[in-house]
Amino acid sequence: MWPGLFLQTLITGLSIGGIYALMAVGYSLVFSVLNFSNFAHGAVIMLGAYVGLALASKLSLSFGIVLAGSIAGAGLIAVLNEKLAYSSLRRRKAPSLYLMISAMGCAVFLENLVYATIGSRFYAFPEFFGRQVISIGGSSVSLLDVGAFLFALVAILGLHLFIKRTRTGIAIRAGVSDMTMCSLMGVDLDRLIAIVFLLAGGFAGVAGVFLGIKYLVYPTMGWVTNKAYIAAVIGGLGSLPGALAGGLILGVVETFVSSYISSVMRDVFSFSLLIAFLVWRPNGLWGTDSEEKV
Amino acid sequence: MDYILSIIILACINMIAVLGLSIFTGFTGLFSLGHAAFVGVGAYTSAILTYYYYVPFPLALAAGAAAAGLVSLIIGIPTLRAKLRSDYFAIAILGFGEALRVVLENLEITNGARGLPGIDNFTTFPIVLACLALGVFFARNFLRSRWGAACIAIREDPIAAEMAGVRLFRTRLLSLVVSAVYCGLSGGLLAHFLSFIQPVMFTLVQSTQLLAAVIAGGMGSLSGPLIASFVFIGLPEALRVAQMWRLVAYGLLLVLIMVYRPQGLMGYSELSSFFKRKSNPGGRVQP
Amino acid sequence: MKTPGKALLSVKGLTKDFGGIRAVDSFSFDVHEGSITGIIGPNGAGKTTVFNLVTGIYRPTAGSIFFEGEEMAGLRPDKIVRKGIARTFQNIRLFNRRTCLDNVLTPLLQRERCSFTGALFGTPGARRLERELHGRAIELLSALGLGKYASWQANTLPYGLQRKLEIARALATEPKLLLLDEPAAGMNPEETRALADLVAEVRWKFNVTMLLIEHHMDLVMKICTPIVVMNFGALLAAGTPDEVRENPEVVAAYLGKGKKTNECTSG
Repeated sequence: MWPGLFLQTLITGLSIGGIYALMAVGYSLVFSVLNFSNFAHGAVIMLGAYVGLALASKLSLSFGIVLAGSIAGAGLIAVLNEKLAYSSLRRRKAPSLYLMISAMGCAVFLENLVYATIGSRFYAFPEFFGRQVISIGGSSVSLLDVGAFLFALVAILGLHLFIKRTRTGIAIRAGVSDMTMCSLMGVDLDRLIAIVFLLAGGFAGVAGVFLGIKYLVYPTMGWVTNKAYIAAVIGGLGSLPGALAGGLILGVVETFVSSYISSVMRDVFSFSLLIAFLVWRPNGLWGTDSEEKV
Repeated sequence: MDYILSIIILACINMIAVLGLSIFTGFTGLFSLGHAAFVGVGAYTSAILTYYYYVPFPLALAAGAAAAGLVSLIIGIPTLRAKLRSDYFAIAILGFGEALRVVLENLEITNGARGLPGIDNFTTFPIVLACLALGVFFARNFLRSRWGAACIAIREDPIAAEMAGVRLFRTRLLSLVVSAVYCGLSGGLLAHFLSFIQPVMFTLVQSTQLLAAVIAGGMGSLSGPLIASFVFIGLPEALRVAQMWRLVAYGLLLVLIMVYRPQGLMGYSELSSFFKRKSNPGGRVQP
Repeated sequence: MKTPGKALLSVKGLTKDFGGIRAVDSFSFDVHEGSITGIIGPNGAGKTTVFNLVTGIYRPTAGSIFFEGEEMAGLRPDKIVRKGIARTFQNIRLFNRRTCLDNVLTPLLQRERCSFTGALFGTPGARRLERELHGRAIELLSALGLGKYASWQANTLPYGLQRKLEIARALATEPKLLLLDEPAAGMNPEETRALADLVAEVRWKFNVTMLLIEHHMDLVMKICTPIVVMNFGALLAAGTPDEVRENPEVVAAYLGKGKKTNECTSG
């Protein structure tokens, strides 16, 4: 039974890791360009889930449209969030901590606004996929998990190609290395950053829908994104391949901890991992140490 | 009358924690999104001592404060020694706070997530007032001392501070421990005032509230955060605003402050400086 | 003038790499007790990096730094300050939102051993010490002509006075060796001349040895001896101002066709 349990744990871990990766990608994308920890990303994921939920249960739309709607909705919310809460700070070159606190304010604001208006009820998505299960090497895995995992891979690969190949992607990468220079070269920074947030928000929408289907939709569901921060830190903050790898690694490691050690220890373990990485490998698994110039 | 008094007591208890965070964030320049966890450690330690072991209240309070200080070493030593970037430090301490909450939720002695009911009502208004007064007295003396000067120097410029003979790691760690002790004391008072505590009372949201008071009141001021904290607790209680709308306002306030007035209500000055003769405001007059 | 004594600071084979770039390349030089030694060199020659290495802000990749015969490489900056090395910064680094008095008081306080509980309770002993140091801080400020600015917030001072305040703060650590990183940067010729006098005065009054980086050739040639020339992280030449001025390698690498450069640059 041991190898079987091992494989099952691995598959479960990967499927959770796929969602972590989806959440981490948007967070990491913003970090790579604006160099601050966007704590509001979790709230955007939560709102994306609510948008998807509304489309699915009120309008009974099909899965594809729900996903598209939630991507668009969360993308717009993220852009709006940037315009209202970050842009003026960014323009006066405020320290990244101020942006982070502003982001934390947004998270608390949005979460409790939903809490106060929609309420604290837990909502379930209508069943899109039934409870179909496929079996791999004797272990079973739900179709949803496989779908989510594959979708996460494809979406992140797509984003990767977008950033590597397209003009806008190149502009984003230039922005990553030097914002001021980028604007001097005639790149419209506001537009560029809006695109970055649109993309990050889009990924938040996808993550929200999958998260909502897998678990439930409720105001504080965004705090699961703590895991996204951890994943991003493991893979190296600001790195997209790192976010994917970090998400998968965290998902697998967590699942192993909870099935072989204790499920209680899982979150303690993850947070300890976060601290350990920040202290000993702040640039992630593959990062190189750099000495700050005075 | 009782209702108003209880609001004032709650506000004063909160002010003690804010005082601590003000030393750490306002005067040492390190941001924390995890200080509510230290309030939690103080609350649980003191409550467990009086509840299970019948330890006298003052002793339990002191033990709670000390426990919070000790726990802060666990996160402080590795992170502060590594001289983390300030935002990484804030994320690390956030993670620590959340981990601590999970631990509280799963221990036998804390009665898990259900919380600990029936703690004795030892906290009275005079006790809270005395604690607050002592807290302000010690904080002021601390800030004038060698260690306080070192903290402020680090906030202004860590490298210049080192070149002025400041021990970076030890000073930052001391500041963290001092702030955690304040939070622990505040937690002990809170537990014995509410007579019921629950891990969910010491989460990121509460940490954000503490930070909001310090930022809104002004980093580098003691009186500013105290006023802010009093207003934050007192006003919504008095208006009987529901908790979630309060949090909506906190969140909005944080954003607005960061966007419009990052130096906070008082900036870097104290209330008392407005009453003094304006001898040299900002150093701009006469040579 | 006192005859230069033994080497107070002796740097041997100092090397510092940043990633793949060698900023300082087995650099050796001595600072003799009582001297005002100047370091010159083109921008990016590694002068400030040497300061950062000597004061412990960077750890050297290789090499030794002996101060009064004791190895300093690898010590923490505050330890090195306690041994008697102080510095100022090229881009002034004051405790901006504190008063001038507090700027000087901070290093004075760090030198004292005082009781933590005594300070918390504000015991008479703690208060007495506070008053005493207060007096010392005022004395120091007055010595640099900043007496009347004691209650000014540091960043509201005019630029030239900020540089002086930085020197006052460095002196408050009671150094034996004072490193000045481009003290005349951004000053006009008149201010530069005044600074030269101040440097000489500080050296006598506080009995400190000085090592300074400077781009104002007039100033360096006037007050420094010996002068150490750096280029590409390595030692190019060392000697008296006249020797350096005549050295063909220095002329080629730095002064360019025998013309003196007067411009002030930051690098």
